[in-house]
Amino acid sequence: MPDRGGQPQRAASGVLSPEAVRLGCKATDKWDVVRQAGALLVEIGAVSPEYAEAMLERERSISTYVGEGVAIPHGTDDSRRYVTRTALGFLQLPDGVDWDGNDVRVAVAIASSGDEHVAVLSALAQILMEPEQAERLRTTTDVEDVLALLADISTEED
Amino acid sequence: MAVREVTIGSRVGLHARPAALFVQAATAAGVPVKISKGDKGPVDARSMLGVLGLGARNGDSVTLEVEGETADAVLDSLVALLEQDLDEPAAADA
Repeated sequence: MPDRGGQPQRAASGVLSPEAVRLGCKATDKWDVVRQAGALLVEIGAVSPEYAEAMLERERSISTYVGEGVAIPHGTDDSRRYVTRTALGFLQLPDGVDWDGNDVRVAVAIASSGDEHVAVLSALAQILMEPEQAERLRTTTDVEDVLALLADISTEED
Repeated sequence: MAVREVTIGSRVGLHARPAALFVQAATAAGVPVKISKGDKGPVDARSMLGVLGLGARNGDSVTLEVEGETADAVLDSLVALLEQDLDEPAAADA
Protein backbone atom coordinates (compact mmCIF):
# COMPACT_ATOMS: atom_id res chain seq x y z
CA MET A 1 0.00 0.00 0.00
CA PRO A 2 1.53 3.36 -0.96
CA ASP A 3 1.69 5.90 1.83
CA ARG A 4 -0.94 8.51 1.15
CA GLY A 5 0.07 10.65 4.10
CA GLY A 6 -3.39 10.48 5.59
CA GLN A 7 -4.94 12.24 2.60
CA PRO A 8 -7.93 10.37 1.21
CA GLN A 9 -7.06 9.54 -2.38
CA ARG A 10 -10.64 9.51 -3.54
CA ALA A 11 -12.59 11.95 -1.47
CA ALA A 12 -15.34 12.12 -4.08
CA SER A 13 -16.73 8.68 -3.37
CA GLY A 14 -15.94 8.41 0.30
CA VAL A 15 -17.72 5.13 0.86
CA LEU A 16 -15.48 2.87 -1.27
CA SER A 17 -11.72 3.07 -0.80
CA PRO A 18 -9.15 1.22 -2.95
CA GLU A 19 -8.13 -1.07 -0.07
CA ALA A 20 -11.77 -2.21 0.25
CA VAL A 21 -11.80 -3.64 -3.30
CA ARG A 22 -10.80 -7.31 -3.52
CA LEU A 23 -10.73 -8.94 -6.94
CA GLY A 24 -10.31 -12.63 -7.74
CA CYS A 25 -11.59 -13.90 -4.37
CA LYS A 26 -12.44 -17.54 -3.73
CA ALA A 27 -15.12 -18.85 -1.40
CA THR A 28 -16.62 -22.24 -0.57
CA ASP A 29 -20.22 -21.08 -0.17
CA LYS A 30 -22.33 -18.00 0.52
CA TRP A 31 -21.66 -18.15 4.26
CA ASP A 32 -17.95 -18.05 3.52
CA VAL A 33 -18.55 -14.96 1.36
CA VAL A 34 -20.53 -13.25 4.14
CA ARG A 35 -17.72 -14.04 6.60
CA GLN A 36 -15.09 -12.65 4.21
CA ALA A 37 -17.26 -9.57 3.62
CA GLY A 38 -17.53 -9.01 7.38
CA ALA A 39 -13.81 -9.51 7.89
CA LEU A 40 -13.10 -6.96 5.14
CA LEU A 41 -15.29 -4.31 6.83
CA VAL A 42 -13.53 -5.02 10.13
CA GLU A 43 -10.13 -4.82 8.45
CA ILE A 44 -10.78 -1.38 6.91
CA GLY A 45 -11.95 -0.11 10.30
CA ALA A 46 -15.59 0.48 9.33
CA VAL A 47 -17.14 -1.92 11.85
CA SER A 48 -16.32 -3.97 14.94
CA PRO A 49 -16.47 -7.80 14.82
CA GLU A 50 -20.00 -7.84 16.32
CA TYR A 51 -21.26 -6.33 13.06
CA ALA A 52 -19.68 -9.13 11.03
CA GLU A 53 -21.57 -11.64 13.23
CA ALA A 54 -24.81 -9.75 12.62
CA MET A 55 -24.24 -9.98 8.85
CA LEU A 56 -24.59 -13.77 9.11
CA GLU A 57 -27.77 -13.36 11.15
CA ARG A 58 -29.18 -10.92 8.63
CA GLU A 59 -28.43 -13.28 5.74
CA ARG A 60 -30.26 -16.10 7.54
CA SER A 61 -33.42 -13.97 7.86
CA ILE A 62 -33.69 -13.12 4.14
CA SER A 63 -31.28 -13.43 1.21
CA THR A 64 -29.36 -10.29 0.25
CA TYR A 65 -29.16 -11.32 -3.42
CA VAL A 66 -30.29 -8.35 -5.55
CA GLY A 67 -29.79 -9.50 -9.16
CA GLU A 68 -27.09 -9.30 -11.87
CA GLY A 69 -24.93 -11.78 -9.94
CA VAL A 70 -24.62 -9.39 -7.00
CA ALA A 71 -25.40 -9.83 -3.29
CA ILE A 72 -25.23 -7.08 -0.67
CA PRO A 73 -24.41 -8.62 2.72
CA HIS A 74 -24.98 -6.23 5.63
CA GLY A 75 -25.88 -6.29 9.33
CA THR A 76 -29.15 -6.12 11.23
CA ASP A 77 -30.74 -2.83 12.35
CA ASP A 78 -29.73 -3.69 15.88
CA SER A 79 -26.06 -4.03 14.88
CA ARG A 80 -25.76 -0.50 13.48
CA ARG A 81 -24.20 0.62 16.77
CA TYR A 82 -21.13 -1.42 15.81
CA VAL A 83 -20.57 0.69 12.69
CA THR A 84 -17.77 3.25 12.99
CA ARG A 85 -18.25 4.81 9.57
CA THR A 86 -20.41 4.23 6.51
CA ALA A 87 -18.37 2.21 4.03
CA LEU A 88 -18.58 -0.38 1.29
CA GLY A 89 -16.45 -3.46 0.68
CA PHE A 90 -16.23 -5.07 -2.76
CA LEU A 91 -15.50 -8.78 -3.18
CA GLN A 92 -15.34 -10.23 -6.67
CA LEU A 93 -15.80 -13.99 -7.04
CA PRO A 94 -14.80 -14.97 -10.58
CA ASP A 95 -15.70 -18.66 -10.04
CA GLY A 96 -19.16 -17.81 -8.78
CA VAL A 97 -20.86 -18.92 -5.57
CA ASP A 98 -24.31 -20.48 -5.29
CA TRP A 99 -26.56 -18.03 -3.44
CA ASP A 100 -29.96 -19.64 -2.96
CA GLY A 101 -29.92 -20.82 -6.56
CA ASN A 102 -28.37 -17.63 -7.97
CA ASP A 103 -24.81 -17.44 -9.28
CA VAL A 104 -23.10 -14.66 -7.34
CA ARG A 105 -19.95 -13.07 -8.79
CA VAL A 106 -19.85 -9.90 -6.69
CA ALA A 107 -20.60 -9.24 -3.02
CA VAL A 108 -20.89 -5.62 -1.94
CA ALA A 109 -20.57 -5.48 1.85
CA ILE A 110 -22.41 -2.54 3.40
CA ALA A 111 -21.70 -0.82 6.71
CA SER A 112 -24.17 1.93 7.55
CA SER A 113 -24.81 3.55 10.89
CA GLY A 114 -27.91 5.53 9.95
CA ASP A 115 -30.29 5.70 7.02
CA GLU A 116 -27.68 6.76 4.44
CA HIS A 117 -27.65 3.24 3.01
CA VAL A 118 -31.00 3.98 1.33
CA ALA A 119 -29.11 6.42 -0.93
CA VAL A 120 -26.14 4.03 -1.22
CA LEU A 121 -28.38 1.11 -2.25
CA SER A 122 -30.32 3.25 -4.68
CA ALA A 123 -27.12 4.43 -6.41
CA LEU A 124 -25.70 0.88 -6.50
CA ALA A 125 -28.95 -0.52 -7.93
CA GLN A 126 -28.99 2.11 -10.67
CA ILE A 127 -25.42 1.21 -11.65
CA LEU A 128 -26.25 -2.51 -11.74
CA MET A 129 -29.32 -1.92 -13.92
CA GLU A 130 -26.94 -1.10 -16.78
CA PRO A 131 -25.97 -4.60 -17.96
CA GLU A 132 -22.54 -3.56 -19.33
CA GLN A 133 -21.59 -1.94 -16.03
CA ALA A 134 -22.72 -4.98 -14.06
CA GLU A 135 -20.72 -7.21 -16.41
CA ARG A 136 -17.55 -5.15 -15.91
CA LEU A 137 -17.91 -5.31 -12.13
CA ARG A 138 -18.21 -9.10 -12.36
CA THR A 139 -15.23 -9.59 -14.66
CA THR A 140 -12.71 -6.73 -14.44
CA THR A 141 -9.19 -7.42 -13.22
CA ASP A 142 -8.47 -3.76 -12.50
CA VAL A 143 -9.32 -2.20 -9.13
CA GLU A 144 -9.48 1.23 -10.81
CA ASP A 145 -12.36 -0.03 -12.96
CA VAL A 146 -14.38 -0.86 -9.87
CA LEU A 147 -13.59 2.49 -8.24
CA ALA A 148 -14.58 4.33 -11.41
CA LEU A 149 -17.82 2.38 -11.86
CA LEU A 150 -18.87 2.87 -8.24
CA ALA A 151 -17.58 6.45 -7.95
CA ASP A 152 -21.10 7.88 -8.06
CA ILE A 153 -22.13 6.12 -4.88
CA SER A 154 -22.28 8.51 -1.99
CA THR A 155 -24.41 8.95 1.07
CA GLU A 156 -26.13 11.93 -0.53
CA GLU A 157 -29.43 11.80 -2.41
CA ASP A 158 -28.97 12.06 -6.16
CA MET B 1 -55.05 -1.51 -14.78
CA ALA B 2 -55.54 -0.35 -11.19
CA VAL B 3 -53.39 2.38 -9.65
CA ARG B 4 -52.91 3.40 -6.03
CA GLU B 5 -50.63 5.69 -4.10
CA VAL B 6 -49.13 4.66 -0.77
CA THR B 7 -46.80 6.20 1.82
CA ILE B 8 -43.79 4.13 2.90
CA GLY B 9 -44.30 3.05 6.51
CA SER B 10 -40.94 1.39 7.14
CA ARG B 11 -39.02 3.54 9.59
CA VAL B 12 -35.96 3.79 7.37
CA GLY B 13 -37.37 3.17 3.92
CA LEU B 14 -37.63 0.65 1.13
CA HIS B 15 -34.02 -0.48 1.55
CA ALA B 16 -32.65 -3.99 1.68
CA ARG B 17 -34.98 -6.13 3.78
CA PRO B 18 -38.22 -4.15 3.37
CA ALA B 19 -37.53 -4.07 -0.38
CA ALA B 20 -36.90 -7.83 -0.46
CA LEU B 21 -40.17 -8.53 1.40
CA PHE B 22 -42.06 -6.26 -1.00
CA VAL B 23 -40.45 -7.86 -4.08
CA GLN B 24 -41.35 -11.32 -2.72
CA ALA B 25 -44.97 -10.26 -2.27
CA ALA B 26 -45.14 -8.61 -5.70
CA THR B 27 -43.69 -11.75 -7.31
CA ALA B 28 -46.15 -13.96 -5.43
CA ALA B 29 -49.05 -11.86 -6.77
CA GLY B 30 -48.57 -13.59 -10.13
CA VAL B 31 -49.60 -10.51 -12.16
CA PRO B 32 -47.52 -7.60 -13.47
CA VAL B 33 -46.90 -4.98 -10.77
CA LYS B 34 -45.11 -1.69 -11.31
CA ILE B 35 -43.89 0.84 -8.79
CA SER B 36 -42.74 4.43 -9.21
CA LYS B 37 -41.65 7.31 -7.00
CA GLY B 38 -42.13 10.77 -8.47
CA ASP B 39 -40.27 10.85 -11.79
CA LYS B 40 -38.37 7.63 -10.98
CA GLY B 41 -39.84 4.58 -12.65
CA PRO B 42 -42.20 2.96 -13.09
CA VAL B 43 -40.07 -0.15 -12.59
CA ASP B 44 -41.02 -3.82 -12.35
CA ALA B 45 -41.91 -4.38 -8.68
CA ARG B 46 -40.59 -7.94 -9.01
CA SER B 47 -37.07 -6.58 -9.63
CA MET B 48 -35.04 -6.02 -6.48
CA LEU B 49 -32.68 -3.69 -8.37
CA GLY B 50 -35.59 -1.69 -9.75
CA VAL B 51 -37.18 -1.27 -6.33
CA LEU B 52 -33.87 -0.42 -4.59
CA GLY B 53 -33.09 2.05 -7.37
CA LEU B 54 -36.10 4.18 -6.36
CA GLY B 55 -34.43 4.98 -3.04
CA ALA B 56 -37.81 5.34 -1.30
CA ARG B 57 -37.53 6.55 2.29
CA ASN B 58 -39.93 6.60 5.19
CA GLY B 59 -42.77 9.01 4.42
CA ASP B 60 -42.13 9.01 0.66
CA SER B 61 -45.14 8.45 -1.55
CA VAL B 62 -44.95 5.70 -4.19
CA THR B 63 -47.43 4.67 -6.87
CA LEU B 64 -48.37 1.06 -7.56
CA GLU B 65 -49.84 -0.10 -10.88
CA VAL B 66 -51.29 -3.58 -11.16
CA GLU B 67 -52.65 -5.41 -14.21
CA GLY B 68 -55.17 -8.20 -14.38
CA GLU B 69 -58.53 -9.22 -12.90
CA THR B 70 -57.12 -9.61 -9.40
CA ALA B 71 -55.58 -6.10 -9.48
CA ASP B 72 -57.68 -4.65 -6.67
CA ALA B 73 -57.04 -7.52 -4.27
CA VAL B 74 -53.31 -7.48 -5.11
CA LEU B 75 -53.21 -3.72 -4.52
CA ASP B 76 -54.96 -4.12 -1.16
CA SER B 77 -52.31 -6.51 0.10
CA LEU B 78 -49.30 -4.65 -1.37
CA VAL B 79 -50.51 -1.30 -0.05
CA ALA B 80 -51.02 -2.84 3.40
CA LEU B 81 -47.49 -4.28 3.25
CA LEU B 82 -45.88 -0.96 2.27
CA GLU B 83 -47.79 0.92 4.98
CA GLN B 84 -46.31 -1.41 7.62
CA ASP B 85 -43.01 -0.82 9.33
CA LEU B 86 -41.07 -3.63 7.68
CA ASP B 87 -37.98 -2.52 9.61
CA GLU B 88 -39.75 -3.72 12.74
CA PRO B 89 -38.30 -7.20 13.43
CA ALA B 90 -41.77 -8.70 14.09
CA ALA B 91 -42.78 -7.86 10.51
CA ALA B 92 -40.11 -10.20 9.19
CA ASP B 93 -42.55 -13.07 9.67
CA ALA B 94 -44.82 -11.57 6.99
